[in-house]
Formats: sequence, structure tokens, C-alpha cells
Amino acid sequence: MALLLSVPIVTNADEGLTFEKHIRPIFRAHCYDCHGAENEVKGALDLRLVRLMEKGGELGPALVKGKPEESYLLERIVTGEMPPGSHRVPDEQIATIRQWIQQGAKTARPEPATIGPGLGITPEERSYWAFQPIDRPLVPVVKNVDRVRTPVDALLLSRLEKKGLTFAPEADKETLLRRASLALTGLPPTHEELNAFLADESPEAWSQVIDRLLDSPRYGERWGRHWLDVAGYADSEGATNSDANRQWAYKYRDWVIRAIGSDMPFDQFIIWQLAGDELVEPPYKNMTTQEIDKLTATGYLRMAADGTGQSNNEETRNQVVIDTVKIVSTGLLGMSVGCAQCHDHRYDPISQKDYYRLRAVFEPTLNPKRWNVPGNRAVSLYTDEDHEKAAEIEAKAQEMVTARNAKQTEYMDLALAAELEKIEASLREPLETAYRTAGDKRTDEQKELLATNPNIGNLSTGVLYQYNQGHADELKKLDADIGTLRATKPVHEYIRALTKQMPEVDPTFLFYRGDYRQPQQEINPGGLTVAAPSDSPFVIKDNPEGAVTTGRRLQYARWLTSGRHPLVARVLVNRFWMHHFGTGIVDTPGEFGHLGSLPTQPETLDWLADEFMAKGWSLKHLHRVIMTSTVYRQQSKRTPDADQIDGGNQLYSHFPVKRLDAEAIRDSILAVSGKLDSTSFGAPVMVGKDTSGQVIINGDTQRRSIYLQMKRTEPVALLKAFDAPAMEINCTKRDNSTVATQSLMMMNSDFILKFAGSFAVRLNQEAQGKTESSVIEGLNVELGENALENSNPWSYGYGEIGDATEGELAKVAFTHFPFFGGNTWKGGEKLPDDKIGFSFLNHTSGHTASKGLSPIRRWTSPITGKIQIKGKLHHPSDNGDGVRLTLYSSRLGQAGQWSAKTGGVDYDVIVDVEAGDRIDAVVDMVENYTSDSFSNVYTITQLESDIATVWVSDKEFHGPLDKSEYELNATIAEQIAYGWQLAYGRAPTREEVQYSIEFIEQQVVLLIASKNESPFEQAMTNYCQALLTSNQFLYME
Amino acid sequence: MTEQGNQTGFTRRGFLRENAMGLGMVALATLMQEEKLLGVPRNVKLEPQKFDLLSKQPHFEPKAKAMISLFQHGGPSHMDLFDPKPELTRLDGKTYDGDIGFSFIKRATKVLKGTPFKFRKHGEAGTAMSELIPHIGSIADDICLIRSMHTGFNGHEVSIRYMNAGIAGVTGRPALGSWITYALGSETQNLPAYMVLTDPGGHPVDSTHNWSNGWMPSIYQGTVLRPKEPRILNLDAPEHLRGSVQASNLNFLGKLNRRHAENHPGEHELEARIASYELAARMQDAAREALDISHETEATHKLYGIDEEATREYGTRCLIARRLVERGVRFVQLFHAGQPWDNHNSLHTSLPSACLKTDKPSAALVKDLKQRGMLDEVLVHWGGEIGRLPVVEGDPKTGGRDHNGQGFSTWLAGGGIKPGTTYGQSDEVGHKAAENIVNPNDYQATILKLFGIDHKDLYYLHNGQEQKLTVNEEAKVVEDILA
Repeated sequence: MALLLSVPIVTNADEGLTFEKHIRPIFRAHCYDCHGAENEVKGALDLRLVRLMEKGGELGPALVKGKPEESYLLERIVTGEMPPGSHRVPDEQIATIRQWIQQGAKTARPEPATIGPGLGITPEERSYWAFQPIDRPLVPVVKNVDRVRTPVDALLLSRLEKKGLTFAPEADKETLLRRASLALTGLPPTHEELNAFLADESPEAWSQVIDRLLDSPRYGERWGRHWLDVAGYADSEGATNSDANRQWAYKYRDWVIRAIGSDMPFDQFIIWQLAGDELVEPPYKNMTTQEIDKLTATGYLRMAADGTGQSNNEETRNQVVIDTVKIVSTGLLGMSVGCAQCHDHRYDPISQKDYYRLRAVFEPTLNPKRWNVPGNRAVSLYTDEDHEKAAEIEAKAQEMVTARNAKQTEYMDLALAAELEKIEASLREPLETAYRTAGDKRTDEQKELLATNPNIGNLSTGVLYQYNQGHADELKKLDADIGTLRATKPVHEYIRALTKQMPEVDPTFLFYRGDYRQPQQEINPGGLTVAAPSDSPFVIKDNPEGAVTTGRRLQYARWLTSGRHPLVARVLVNRFWMHHFGTGIVDTPGEFGHLGSLPTQPETLDWLADEFMAKGWSLKHLHRVIMTSTVYRQQSKRTPDADQIDGGNQLYSHFPVKRLDAEAIRDSILAVSGKLDSTSFGAPVMVGKDTSGQVIINGDTQRRSIYLQMKRTEPVALLKAFDAPAMEINCTKRDNSTVATQSLMMMNSDFILKFAGSFAVRLNQEAQGKTESSVIEGLNVELGENALENSNPWSYGYGEIGDATEGELAKVAFTHFPFFGGNTWKGGEKLPDDKIGFSFLNHTSGHTASKGLSPIRRWTSPITGKIQIKGKLHHPSDNGDGVRLTLYSSRLGQAGQWSAKTGGVDYDVIVDVEAGDRIDAVVDMVENYTSDSFSNVYTITQLESDIATVWVSDKEFHGPLDKSEYELNATIAEQIAYGWQLAYGRAPTREEVQYSIEFIEQQVVLLIASKNESPFEQAMTNYCQALLTSNQFLYME
Repeated sequence: MTEQGNQTGFTRRGFLRENAMGLGMVALATLMQEEKLLGVPRNVKLEPQKFDLLSKQPHFEPKAKAMISLFQHGGPSHMDLFDPKPELTRLDGKTYDGDIGFSFIKRATKVLKGTPFKFRKHGEAGTAMSELIPHIGSIADDICLIRSMHTGFNGHEVSIRYMNAGIAGVTGRPALGSWITYALGSETQNLPAYMVLTDPGGHPVDSTHNWSNGWMPSIYQGTVLRPKEPRILNLDAPEHLRGSVQASNLNFLGKLNRRHAENHPGEHELEARIASYELAARMQDAAREALDISHETEATHKLYGIDEEATREYGTRCLIARRLVERGVRFVQLFHAGQPWDNHNSLHTSLPSACLKTDKPSAALVKDLKQRGMLDEVLVHWGGEIGRLPVVEGDPKTGGRDHNGQGFSTWLAGGGIKPGTTYGQSDEVGHKAAENIVNPNDYQATILKLFGIDHKDLYYLHNGQEQKLTVNEEAKVVEDILA
């Protein structure tokens, strides 16, 4: 019951209960809406002070000190009459109230003589942890000093040691590199990076890796994406079903990537986003790059879903303001101030006025009363110079247009004249007149005339090509030239910024119950009261008369980043920590109030927050601190001992195992398969739907996921499945789901099948020599050869059926024909061959040779079952002594024997086979091989099977199988090992190589059996798919 | 395949052993421990808790085995559908003298509005219902109509979350379906335990919060069936990989994953993903079969209104819901796009159209379950998060009614619910629940009871705290509506 956990519940009778500490939070949650928060209290009963309770309301005194039974307020609560409705005050809280009254209804201090309106903030409420100033905690002394690399370690270890625990052992280098690479760049390490790090034994190796990763352009993309979640970035307007595109939103996205990539101090990063426009002199023309950046940054305040382009009314406009305040407050303050939109916050000391103070900071620019719809907001980046240059070019273009139009007139006249020539002379003049008369001025007669001469009546510039192709082409060429010239104008780009400056400022009102139609008193701008010390509240001053802006946002941004704000730095470092460790120190990164979680490691949180600010709000510095700490370098393996105490890992007794987020999954698959296009920045890659309605990217540009169009109503299916945010507003913490639909996607989607294939191709191309021989030595199989042989059941050679020995079948000696030419397998280019004589085979025929050299047509069974072999042996010559055919099974021996001389013989035999059995058709001479040309054509039909597969000896005859298709550039073992390294960031063990090879062998057999066209590649593809969809790839540890 | 196991007393161990794609070894070990087949006593503290969807024993003999919730977002107008108010009709046009909380102030009035629709009594029970829902009327003898639902909040999301997850307004908690599947697992391991059938028009109000697993492991999240074909994307492998090739692939993947998990004992997310691949593989066959309604008889199609334009879509989903529970799915919930029952305007036309879509299919589901002998064990819920006010919002002719969390109606059928009854009453104009008030926690406690669970003893340890669905200490089982 998260909601009520934070309300102090005291049952220890020894402790004195006070109103402020123990009772007020209960009343705040249940009673103050009617009995305190508003000027008018129900039943005239005010519960804000004890003496007001004693005084009571319309029904008399509500409280009698020391006498719970006589205290009417308790009675009303106990009976459930109060609060009205089905809500009940929980029993333990009622007990607390009773006990407090019993003890004399004490207060912590004398109550004030007078009380202003509203609930105010008590010292007890102020004492909540998140509102305390950020003080750097002392670094504690720990026992196990060896494990302390940074103050963070000391702080965490001190808590671990109190529970009798310590950090887990250091992770191995492979694990650390993959962890760091995924964390900082969202991509796994490359093979070269892995080798370099493993080879570097210097003490600086680790910090140098961190530096290298922080310098990578991929870093800004990774950590920029984290910020875009918080900012609620989208490339579409949302809010309505039409979800119109935001063409220029990407400028803000690119700015974020650059700012994070260059480690822009976070205070500046925030100030620019909240008030960049107030740092640039209007009228925002001919701006410097930095000025453009400052304006672009304010795109942050333009990120909220915005339905006003579709339906521009007060409600939709107010919704944009509400959502913007929400984005700012959850992202920077870690407070769901939204509760205070309608009434004082029930659990945190945030008044409704506070909410509207915050709104007043933004309202001069984000003003529902003077609204600017999305279409009118873009700020043009065109400079005067651009305008001039464009005008110059346009002037030239206009000249060309004039010349072109003159040409056109001339050609049209020529065409008309030529057509008139073909017409009876008397009609020419009236026709021409009719033609040249404007359509709506033509008489009926003229219309008729034109209609009866359609070759003239229909003559227009559009069909000029039918009259004179050359002229038409010439005009087309001129048009193209004009187009080319116009394209040289400077490109007109825009940014989405919050800039509109109000000459006069509309007052902000508090809305009764949050309803914009019920404005109440006027509210001045400010921040959350409780966030500033009570003796030095944050006050926004009016800009001097004549200033262009109110300066409210700038002052507010400076206050947030002043170093004195208790929430901002904590909220930021908590999220940074979350991105490294999976969960934040506060598990509710968007809610630090009573409705959220408490910090598990408050000292560490404060130390990091202070360090962050002290070191110039540098995120990269913070990364270095965190990642060089022992806590980061631990193994991810749980131990039963530690789990007993730290099952939830809140003490950080090991590094967590975390699933990669959606973008990291997609980007890593692309990177590993060698297909990632690492182009940075620019307009998003557009998305569309495939035939099943699944959202995919259009085209084949596989850029990083941050560059894909982020359409709120059409999130890319793969990213959505792995919990990319839908961006209804913004996202301070992503879900982490494990559902079968993800598995189906990893098993069957076009995406995974395609890139598993690319991965396999890459392995074959690159794997050679990439793996240490000790891992793979002796493990390789000649799978390529086997696959080659097995992939087609037919093979061709020469030999003989040997002699049977006692108890064993005769074996067939079989040698592949060494040469293929003229569609014939034979011994060499010429026939007879020096070595094997006349022995040959083609699709139907062959020729016998001397003993031991007889041609053999071999069929290797891909199936197990029964087959029928049916064919005809034919000996066409009138001469010679004929030929003899023996069908011979490698497992069962002779299946039949037939002879033919000057004529043919039909045969038909049924044989049992097991997969891998060889059925040889050996044709040999009888006594001599003269005139022993023969033909032998047969079919093999699978019997007793639903699918009667048929193999045909002549139709399926083949020459050498295309070697290039099967060419192995690296051994199977090398490919397996290299794939393993790329996917998992570490070399496999011998055992892992071994069972992977077994898998591939098994696959090849199955694929051949299913008549796959390329069983070997498919088997490797399937291996790659298994790697890319396995937990070792999908999780980092 | 494993259907057999499910229908014949469910030999779980046999199922696991026989099925090459069975749950991970850890799950098997857990199961064997449960059955006291392993010597080592189970000590949950030694290792983090493990979670699975295997069928679990409830606290006591259950009545219901599965539930289908037809959630009606927006607040169906009870005084126009389920709760006849002659007094309101008599006072039509008069000013209401009670306190009213409005949501839409500008159009708010205190002018009472009697229902423009006719009511008549149905069945032996004689339950009066509106002419707009004749089919639901026809199952009056099978349902229990509760006329005293109460959330106390007029807002949609606030009340939805209360109905669904136990606390008004708070998100991030597990939904009812998550709690039931957490407590009882599923009767099938071939289909997701908790399935959500969304509307082709889009997600309902409050979107995915409606089927969130909150802080529970994600195996308890509702799995969304797409509203259009293909209802489950990527269900099939391409032709050249189907069958033994893919089975071999998954076998190898399973091997990689198990070896990895062995190096990370206690990481139940890794186990969950292994289970999720296994489920996906089984789903390929099971889901295709379960979602294929083409073999249902013409009479069944007609019953659900699948042959009519107005009811085809909702009828199809209701029929799929029946097929899912028939195959062992524990919890199925149907949603509308947005909130069709939020009739602020043109009550006269918008309410009938919402009824047209749902009336026949909803009643058909109950009839169909009954004729198949399934109604005894399948609990059907029909209702929304709030009702509507007795006063008119806007113009009396063209206007509608504003939100009302003080009183509304809901019906339940089957699964141990007393049939042919009504329960509770609203006040004379239908504004507030007046007698035998049922709040969302009571509703949840009652459902849990039907599933054989004592709501006070169903908890989930989150951050070391016992979390419950029925947060309100006073939550009570509505014993009077139990058969």
C-alpha cells in the first residue's frame, strides 16, 4: 500500500505523539480538502490547529484533550461517517489519533496566535529528506579498505559491512568491456576493441576504455536518448488521432545529442532548454550557431503532445500547458506536482498555489489566451544573406522562365500552324480564332468547331509532345534547368522553439479544482515553496520596464541550477545511476515525494549530487566516478548468502543483470550483423506499416534507433515490444517486460531473420584467423564438404562393387569423376582418358570401361523409408556384348541386376532406405567394353509417405555444384567462435564451440531433408539467430 | 499435445518431462519440491522468490476457474439501463435538492432527468431492465445485477484504477488479472494466462495501465491480442523454417539460455525469458487453433451476432474469449476504444449505439457458456468504473449525463454467483448507492473468494512489504450474491 507507507504510523506508546509529526499527515491525506485547505471550511470545523479543533465547528467541540471517547472528531472517523464516501481512515491511523488524544493532544510547539489561509508548511513537513539541502556526506571508514576505489565505494561498503556483506569479486575484463560499451554507447564492443582491452595490462586500461567510449560519437546518441525520454521527445504532435508530423523536431534531438556528446555542463544544458530564448536578442535573425543552439534547446518546452493544430480550443491549449509543467516537474524536480493542480497535495507540502506559481513561470510564453498553433511556430533559420542569395537565384530563374515561356508560345504557334495546314482552308481562320478565344468566351459555334477538329481543339502545352516531340523535350530540358538552378538556393530550415515574446503579460490565475473555466485569484510566478529555505524564499522579479521578455523562465532556470535547489541535482544523478544500475537509488525517478520510494542509499545519492555540481555539472565526470568504482566493477553473480540479506540488491552486493533496452537491442543486432549505418543527425528515417499492419521503417536505411521517426501513434514494433516509451507525455523510467510477443518477434519477425542472415554472411567473410587456435584446434568439421555432398543427393563417379568378405557386405569403391565438360562427367578433357578410359556419364547416358572403372551414378538418401526405383536400361548398339546394371545399397547390398544388349530392359524395384544410405547404379561391361554406350534413366519415388517425393536421374543431373556459393572463407569452427565473440563480447570455450558445431551438423541434416536450397547458409543463419536472441546477448551483466 | 494434461486432472510433472519445450529445469525443481519429491526443504529466503504460471492450489475449494471481464469504459448510465427509477421519472424536469459533484461544470445543471427509455421485467426473476438491452434482459435469470456499486470518485482514471488495481487513482499497481494469475497460475501453459482483447478503434482510456503488472514480475502482465488479423504478430515462422528445423533452433537457444542462467542463479528474469520462448513456441500451435473461429457452428456465429455488422466485431471477441477460457486461460478482459459509455452528449443516440454493439454479444457469451456447461466455472463480469448522474448535463433534449462514482450498476454471472438476483439499491433517483454498498475492494474480495482465495491472505512481497489487492482493511466479501 505504497500510498500510505510514508505516513508515519506510531504504535510505540512510550513515544510522545505530536500533532505536527503524527496527526497532521493523516489529516492532510483524509480531511484537509474540506477542513483546512480552503478559506471556507465545511461545518465551520478547521482541523489545522489543535485549539481550533477544541473550539470545534457547527456541531460543537471536536476534540477534548485526553478524552478520546468525548472527542467528536474521533467518533466521526471511527464510525466511518468521515471522511464521506467509501474511503476509510486505516485502523492503525485511527489508533494513532486515539492515542494522541489520550496523551493530551500535544503539539510540538506552541501554536501560532493567528493562521493565514491554506495549509502552510510545518517544520515536520520541511524535514522530509528530499527537501533538505544537499550536503556532501562524510566518507565513512570501512574494514575492507582494499575494495574502496572511490568515496562511492566507501559509502556503499559501509552499509554492506554493517550487514556482514561485502562487494562481489571483480568481473572479468570481457564482462566489464561489454558492460561499459553497452552502457555508454548502447552497442557491444567490436572484436578489435575486445582484443585491445584484453591485451592492455596497464593499470590505466580501464579508465582509458571509459575515456574512449565517452569520446565516441555513439555516446551522445546513447545518453541523448535517455534525456529524450525525460523530455518526451517525439516526431509527431500526438493528442489527436491524426498525430501530425513534427517536421523539425529532430533539430532539438540533434542538439541534445551534441550537447550531451560534448559534455555541456548540465546547468547550462537546463538553462538553455528552459530559457534559451531569453538569452538571445530578438528578432532571431542572422543568428550565430550558438544563438541557434540556444533557441533550439527551448524545443524542450515544445515537446508536449499538442492537439491544438487539430482542434484549437481552450481545453486543448490548457492541456499542452499542463503537460509541459508535468514534463518539467517530473524530469527536473522529481515531483508529480500535477496532484496540486486541483487541490493542495494530499501527501507532500505542495499547495495548489505552488502549482500555479510554476505555471506562471511558463505562461507568458505558453499562453492559452494568446495561443500560437503548431503550424505557426517554426523559427526560420534563413539569414539575410540566404534571402539575398535566394533572391538572386530566383531572379535568374525568372529570366529563364520568361525565356522558356516565350519558347513555349513559339512552339505552340508552330504546332497550331502545322495543324491548320491540314485543315480545309476556309475553316482555318475561324478555327484559329476559336482556338485563341478563352474557353469561357467561346460561342457555341466555336465550341462545336473545336470539338469537330479535336487535333486543334485539344491542342495544349501538356500534349505538345504528340505534335512535336523535339520541342516538348526542349521545354522539358529548360524546366529541369530552372529546377536545378532553384535547388542551389540555400536550404530553408526551421527549428521548433519556444520564443514568442509577449509585449504585455496576462496574469496567471489559480483554477478552482483545476478547471480552467473557473479562474480564482491571481498568482505570481515562483517555484515550489518547500524547495527553498523558509527564510530565503525564491522570488521571481519582474524584468525592468521595456525588457522584451519577462525573464521568468531564465530566473527560474538559474534557481534550479543554483546549487541550492534540493531536488534538481538529486533527481538528475538518480537517473544517471539508474541508467547504469537498472534501478535508481530512488526507485521512482519521477516522484521523490511521499508517493514515491525512499532512497535506498541516501548518502551515496547526496555525495553524487554534490560531486556532480562541484565538478561543473559534468556528466562525463560522473560517469568516470561511477564506472571506476568497485561497485561498478563487481561480478553480476548472486550468492545465496548475500541474497538472503540483499535479495533486491539495494545494498549493491553485486552488479545487476539487466535486459538491454529497446534501442540497444535493435542497434546491437544491426552492429553485430555488420549492417548498422552509423550516420549521425538529420531528418528522421520515416516509418510505415508492413502488410500485417506492423510498424517498420521505410526502406533499408538501418540507422541507429534514435534516428527513427518517433511517431506517437505508430511506434516501431520492435522498439515498442521491448518497452520503448509511447510518449503520451514523457517517461522517467521505462518498463521492463518479459512477454511471449517479444519471443515471437525474436523467433519469426522479418527483422531478426534478415539480420541473422547478414550476420552469417559477415562471419564467413571475416572469421578467418580471428580466434585463438587453442579454442578451436581439432574441433573443425569439414561441414562444407559434407554439405556440398549432402545438399544434392546425386553424385557421379567410377569404380566397382568390391568382393564380399565373410559376414560383411561388399563395398562399392567410388571415385568422383575428376572432370566435367560438354555436360559430361569424365576422366579428362579428351575421351578416352589416359587413366580411366571411356568411362563417362551424362544426364541420360554413359559408357563402360575396364574393370574397376565402371561409371557409377550415386544417389544418397536424404530420407528414411521405402523407395521405388523404376527405370530403363538401354544398349543401342548392334555391336558388342551389351552392358549390365547393378543397383546396390550401401546398407543392404544388391537390390537388382539387369542386362541389355541391342535394346532396352525395364526395371522396377522397392528398397528400404535410411537417411544417408547410398544407392549406386553401377553399369559395367560384360566381357569387353567396345560398343558399350548405354542410357539409363530412372526415378526414385518415396513410398508410404504423405508427400511422395520423386527424384529423377536425368532431370536432376548436375555438373560441379557452384563452389562459390558454398565457398568457406573460414572454417566452421572459426565462424562459430567469431560469431560468439561478436555477439557476447567474449571467446567461447572449446565446449561451447563443440556443441555449436553439433547443432550446425544437426541443422544441415534437417535442412537437407526439408530440401532447403542452401542448407549450410541457413544453418549458420539459424546459429546466428540463436546468438542474437539468447539471454547472453539480450542482457548485460 | 498438452491439452490432454490440462483436461485430465493436469499431471504437471508429466507435462514438464514429456514436453521437450517444458519450463526450465528450475521450474521443474520447484515443482518437485512442491510435491515433496526433493529432499531439501524449500527455503524461499535462500534464493529470491521464483515465479511461474503453473496452476496453483487456492486457499479453499474454488467455484470459478476462469473469468471473462467485459469492461465497459466510460460509465454506463445505470438509470437508463439497469436501475429503473420511477421517482426520477416523476421528478423529471424538477430541480434536485441534494449535493452533487460535477465533473463538467460549465454544462452542469441540477435538473433531474427521467430515463427516456422503457423498462420491462425479465425472466422468472422479474429483473427490470431497459429496452436498450433486450438480450441482457433475456439472461436475467442467469446473472446477479448489483445496483449499488460505489467508487466515491467521479473521474474515469481514478475509478478505473480503483476497480482494476485496488487503490483509487494510483498507477503502477498490478491489475486484477495479474493478481489472479499470480495467485493461481494458469490451466494452460500453451497460451498466456492473462489475455486482453482490445478494440480495433484503439486502446481504452488509461491505456495499458488497464493490464499492467505493476511491481509484480512481467509474466503477470496482460498479453494483448491484436484487434485485427493477425491477432498475434509473428506467430508463424517462414515456411522453410517451420517444424523440426525451428524446434531444433529453439532447442539450441534453450541450451544457450540454460547454461547462461546456470551462471546466474536466482535471476528470475532470465528464467522468465526462457519460459517466454517456450510459451511462444507452444503458442504457435495453440493460439492459431484457439483464435480460429471458423469451425464454430453457424448457430454459434449467429448467437454472438457475428453475422451482423453492428455486433460482428465485439461478438467475435466475445467468442474468442470463450474459446480462450475453454483452453485453460485464466483471465480474459475485453476493452472498448476510448470510452463509449461516456455519454455527456446526446444520450438519446449515443447510449443506444453503445448498447447495440455490446448487448447481444455479451448475452451470447453467458448463454453459450451455459449451454456448454462452462458457466458454473467461468465468471463473467459486465460493468464499468462509474455510472451517471440523475441530472441532465447540457440541454435536456440533446444533452447527456455527467460522471457519477457515487452509484452505478454492474452484473456478474456464473462461477459461483447466485443467478437471477439483484443486489443493493441506489437512492430514489439513482444518484448514490444507498443499500448494500459495494465498493471496488468489496468487488475484488468477492471475485477472489469465488476463485477460492481469501483476499486478506493474498499478498505479494514488494520491497519487503506485504502488498494486497484489497487495500481497504474493511473490504468484505459480498456473501449474499454467492450461490
